[in-house]
Amino acid sequence: MLSNLWRSSVSGLLVVSLFGMLAPSLIAQTVGKGALTGRVTDASGGAVANAYVTATSIDSGQKQTASTGPDGMYKLDLPEGNYRVTFEAAGFKTLEISSATVSGTAPEILDGKLERGEAVNGSPALTQQENLPNAPSSSTTAPSLSDLGLSPEQTRGNPQEQALLDKRTHMLKIHQRMGLITTIPLVATVILGPGAGGKSEGTATRDLHVALGSLTGDLYGITAYYAIRAPRIPGTKKRGPIKFHEAMAWIHGPGMILTPILGAMAFSQKNNGEKVHGIAQAHGPVAIVTAGAFGAALLSVSVKF
Amino acid sequence: MNRKILIAFLFAAIPAFGADSQWVLQQSTLTYHVSHPLHQSEGVSHAAKGKGVCHAGQCEFLIAVPVKSFDSGDSNRDLHMIQVTRGAEFPLVTVRTRLPESDATASTINADLEIQFAGQTAHYQQVPFKVEKQGGETHISGTIPATLTDFKIDPPSLLTIPVKNDIPVRVDMTWRPQ
Repeated sequence: MLSNLWRSSVSGLLVVSLFGMLAPSLIAQTVGKGALTGRVTDASGGAVANAYVTATSIDSGQKQTASTGPDGMYKLDLPEGNYRVTFEAAGFKTLEISSATVSGTAPEILDGKLERGEAVNGSPALTQQENLPNAPSSSTTAPSLSDLGLSPEQTRGNPQEQALLDKRTHMLKIHQRMGLITTIPLVATVILGPGAGGKSEGTATRDLHVALGSLTGDLYGITAYYAIRAPRIPGTKKRGPIKFHEAMAWIHGPGMILTPILGAMAFSQKNNGEKVHGIAQAHGPVAIVTAGAFGAALLSVSVKF
Repeated sequence: MNRKILIAFLFAAIPAFGADSQWVLQQSTLTYHVSHPLHQSEGVSHAAKGKGVCHAGQCEFLIAVPVKSFDSGDSNRDLHMIQVTRGAEFPLVTVRTRLPESDATASTINADLEIQFAGQTAHYQQVPFKVEKQGGETHISGTIPATLTDFKIDPPSLLTIPVKNDIPVRVDMTWRPQ
């Protein structure tokens, strides 16, 4: 009982001491940081997605921009201070809030209600067709995005597409690195090839050739997986060296399947003391073509010809 | 009678002198340049839209270009460019500048630019542009000394080697008064 009490007291003291040591640095980290958040809506209260919210520090002139999500929400992480905030969206008049104070205690909530861009002669909001670059500006002082005649597709941010692009890049980076790593055992396997299939009765070179070949196959499989599984971006027409890179995959892909099959046949024949014969004789040439296509694919996206 | 017509004409003419003048971007070529030890790449866009509004001797210009409109001739590189610059989330590059109306007649202008790109805002002071008048059109060309760090963009890499930080953007624009 006493022992438990002693143990809990020591633990409690340790926690308090640790907090005492860390608290100043934790406080130091949080002081000076704040956030501005809110929702951008149209006159009817509907969410305005892809509106640009820009906070300009009144003290330093530094600017930071965020765009609203599908629910019209935005968030800007800002140092404490006073800010001039502008809300901009295609088809709407720019709204400017001359002063908003950001403190480090709680996020400052600032909603923006946007009015549709005014057309000349007091007519209703400009429609997309009317919203041409040569239409008179909705502002007498500064032009706004709604004056430029950009289509909604051009101005609307798409977080889902960004996430898809991020995933694609992540997977293709792994694909690229694995491709480079695969090159090492691939080259070594090709170099050892003539020795493995020669007249020598020794099996050491042959075994090493098989081991390196297997490693190449495994690494190649991982490399291919990251290319095949990388997300496709809708509406993208392939242009440039990537077309050659992918065309080469139609050679080295089947080659990477065929080469070990033919190699296994050749290996079996050699181990039986036979001369490599029949279709197994194609192992070497197929491997050379496969390695060549793999090298060409690698170079096509690495070096500009 | 003639006097009345003259007075009516003068009253009608006064708003025209006091009215704002506007400029419209007729055509443009924007070219970014990326350097890598193995590659020198350029991406070109002709899709910029722009407008200038002049009031009381000062002109404010806004130019916007979709990030996706830049074409480097390699769809894979373009997609990667859109990803690193967060072009799907922030689809536009916008450039704002304010110039004295008298600059329209100068042969060179030095513009202070405010550029919003990749969710960040960067300022470039006194960027020189060459101005050429051709008929009713004004041709403006120059290079914006942009860098990746200006917009907090992680430099993309090829074969684990990152590209250089400098991404100068060559600007070639034709404006016409509205």
